[in-house]
Amino acid sequence: MFSVSKTYPSQITALSDLYLEIPAGEFLFIAGPSGSGKSTLLRILFGAEKPSSGEVIVNGVRLTRPGFKKVHQLRRTMGIISPDFKLLQNRNVKENVAFALEVRGHAPKEIKEKVSDILKQVGLQQREKDSILSLSAGEQQRVAIARALVNDPPLILADEPTGVLDDRMTEEMMGIFSELHQGGATIVFATQDTGLVQCYPYRMIPLPARRRGDTETSEGV
Amino acid sequence: MLSFLGYAMRRSLRNMKGNLFPNLTAIATIGISLLIFSSFSLIAFNLATLLKVWEEKFEAIAYLKRGTSLNEVEELLKRIRQLDGVETVNYISPFDAMAFMEERLGGQKNLLEGIQPAILPSSIEIRLKKDYWGRTKIEEIVSSLKGVAQIEEIQYGQEWIETFSVIVHLARLTQWILGALLLAAIIFIISNTLQLTISSRKEEIEAMQMAGASPAFIQIPYYMEGLIQGLLGAGMAAGLLFLLYQVVLITVTPLMKGWLAGIPILFLPWETIARILVGGMVLGLFGSFFASMRFLRYGR
Repeated sequence: MFSVSKTYPSQITALSDLYLEIPAGEFLFIAGPSGSGKSTLLRILFGAEKPSSGEVIVNGVRLTRPGFKKVHQLRRTMGIISPDFKLLQNRNVKENVAFALEVRGHAPKEIKEKVSDILKQVGLQQREKDSILSLSAGEQQRVAIARALVNDPPLILADEPTGVLDDRMTEEMMGIFSELHQGGATIVFATQDTGLVQCYPYRMIPLPARRRGDTETSEGV
Repeated sequence: MLSFLGYAMRRSLRNMKGNLFPNLTAIATIGISLLIFSSFSLIAFNLATLLKVWEEKFEAIAYLKRGTSLNEVEELLKRIRQLDGVETVNYISPFDAMAFMEERLGGQKNLLEGIQPAILPSSIEIRLKKDYWGRTKIEEIVSSLKGVAQIEEIQYGQEWIETFSVIVHLARLTQWILGALLLAAIIFIISNTLQLTISSRKEEIEAMQMAGASPAFIQIPYYMEGLIQGLLGAGMAAGLLFLLYQVVLITVTPLMKGWLAGIPILFLPWETIARILVGGMVLGLFGSFFASMRFLRYGR
């Protein structure tokens, strides 16, 4: 990211003149309080939002190129975890995870195997046929994590992926992320939990809290 | 590809089932709109058929001046028979004319009581060979006979045909103006119904986008939904039109028997019905295309 700024029409500046380089295979924490621009940063990285100014290059693809329309291809190389999970209420656990592979055109046999493996990893294999509505918030978050990771993406953008998990589950999920990182995946992990960040030896970018009209320049990293 | 189309079809049908009422409303509205359009098509088609039959089959009647002798009539008949394209030439005496009128009046022929045949003019009925049917030829014959001294007047129904042509053109014009308005309405209806479907599927669409589904993967089921709505609406219109046609055939045809002179009221040819069905699908596709342009953009 080169000199990236994002100001919303409501005049709230979420990011201001941000320089950020994430080498392939890095595990990076983006830490900051609510409203500091963590989600905006991730949304810009997966092409859900355009920055107001600056350049964004992800996996060698210039997202800010005028007329860029291959967002879906870029997202196929990513595992995205949203803080509001974005799970389908009318489908069960297994179907929610399989959905991510279905939309990418994977074969049914491959889908079955991969879904079964990832549900085992996140500890939900016993609940694969349960409705999403019958799960706790923590379990729903694990389904969202499973869905993002089922395709073995080389880049994982996780926005508060442990936000509603208890300590034991957070530790388990962090174990999964660390394992993926050791396997070569690049992980961008946004969190408000500074305590969690301190437990792991990974680089951390702090984002300060922002207010309306606040244009203070972020540090280049 | 086939498995994807199967998947897309299942998703379209699931979407339609999930939004049953708006979909049924859209199909009914499309059906009624296309029924109005196709009814005008049917009317215009039958009027045009009628016009064509009349244009081709009409004959010229030359009314003779009083006092024309039989020798002069013979000469005239000979002269007309020699004209290019003439098939038959019949002399209708005042007595023949009276007999014809009595036949036409049937049970009411007593209206002619006291009328002497002599007040009716004698005439010559000129029919053309089939290959010469058409307005141009009859006009040629009429103009070649206009200067003949024994002929009082020649009638071949040109004014009536011309008036009728205007009516047919007006019917066609109304059909297309109405068609254009209904077309816009149908696209608007389908677009708005799909907007409702898309809104109710917002979460699923967002999840698909997050997972990297291609725009085509997301949009094709909605295009299919528009196609299905259009096809069902057009099918409904065709079915209702056929029912209406049957009602007209049973109730109206006997009343218009004399006026139609044996020309049957026809249903639209199957090619036109196929065009209406395809048209419904194309309109559905347009509606869904506009809806997807407005509401299915990849979030950026």
